[in-house]
Amino acid sequence: MKLRIPSTMALLQISAGLTLVALGLMVWSMMAPTPLPVMLAMTVGQGLGTLAFGLYGFVVIRDLRRAMRAKRDSIPPPVNK
Amino acid sequence: MWTDPFLIAALVTTGIAAVLLLWFLIRRPAITRATKIVLLLGIGVFPLLTAANGNIAGYNATKQRSFCGSCHVMTPYSDDSGDLKSASLAARHARNDMFGKENCYACHADYGMFGTVTTKIGGLRHVYEYSLNYRNMPVKQFLEEIEIRKPFPNSTCIHCHSTQNQGFLKIGDHASTLDRVRGGTLSCASEGCHGPAHPFSKEAKKQRGAQ
Repeated sequence: MKLRIPSTMALLQISAGLTLVALGLMVWSMMAPTPLPVMLAMTVGQGLGTLAFGLYGFVVIRDLRRAMRAKRDSIPPPVNK
Repeated sequence: MWTDPFLIAALVTTGIAAVLLLWFLIRRPAITRATKIVLLLGIGVFPLLTAANGNIAGYNATKQRSFCGSCHVMTPYSDDSGDLKSASLAARHARNDMFGKENCYACHADYGMFGTVTTKIGGLRHVYEYSLNYRNMPVKQFLEEIEIRKPFPNSTCIHCHSTQNQGFLKIGDHASTLDRVRGGTLSCASEGCHGPAHPFSKEAKKQRGAQ
């Protein structure tokens, strides 16, 4: 079974959503600095934020590689005389 | 709370990041280079600033007495520290501006190069134990059964109250117990010396001893 990687838009939407959740956890910990929110923000919150940024980085690198590949394929091969 | 610049900075960067991300999620613009730069700010730059400022604000918050007192079993200790009429060692230190509302941390933090790290790791153990074992324990039972994990080190007291001052040495009890105090075999916070630090500290031990 081949894993199907979601489209660029879907990945960026997931990344944006995860970032919003992470930011929400961090704001909660700052507004109510008790053990549970502070620990959640510093573990789950930062984990989600890192995952979101990783997804963004993956999308950017994948698009760059695609663009480079497309550019390379568009150059006609040298003609041997 | 609102005077903490790190907190304000974290809230501002959170607000900016949230606006950028909501714009992207609601408007669904085409994925161009400009959109990616906006997302770099919304997913990367501003959340990183929020995390950095939020960590410092969170760290500062964990030093507050109100943070320690937010676990119900710590409420009597926190209340005693904040009680202006209390004569306990903890309360008298809390009335000193050097300790103030961070008096729990000021006395229970480890010193040394990695003191902050070891203190916070110890704090995580407390949160773990509280969450899994003591969350539903009645305060009365907690005060009777639970004791400080490690003996309170004299080095914490000596950090401010030098044992080399003449004022310290001219007190007979200090002079006669100097080696034991410096060596940590006799606690400054012993009952009969300057302790107990909290009104509840040794109560359970005394009761058990009397039985």
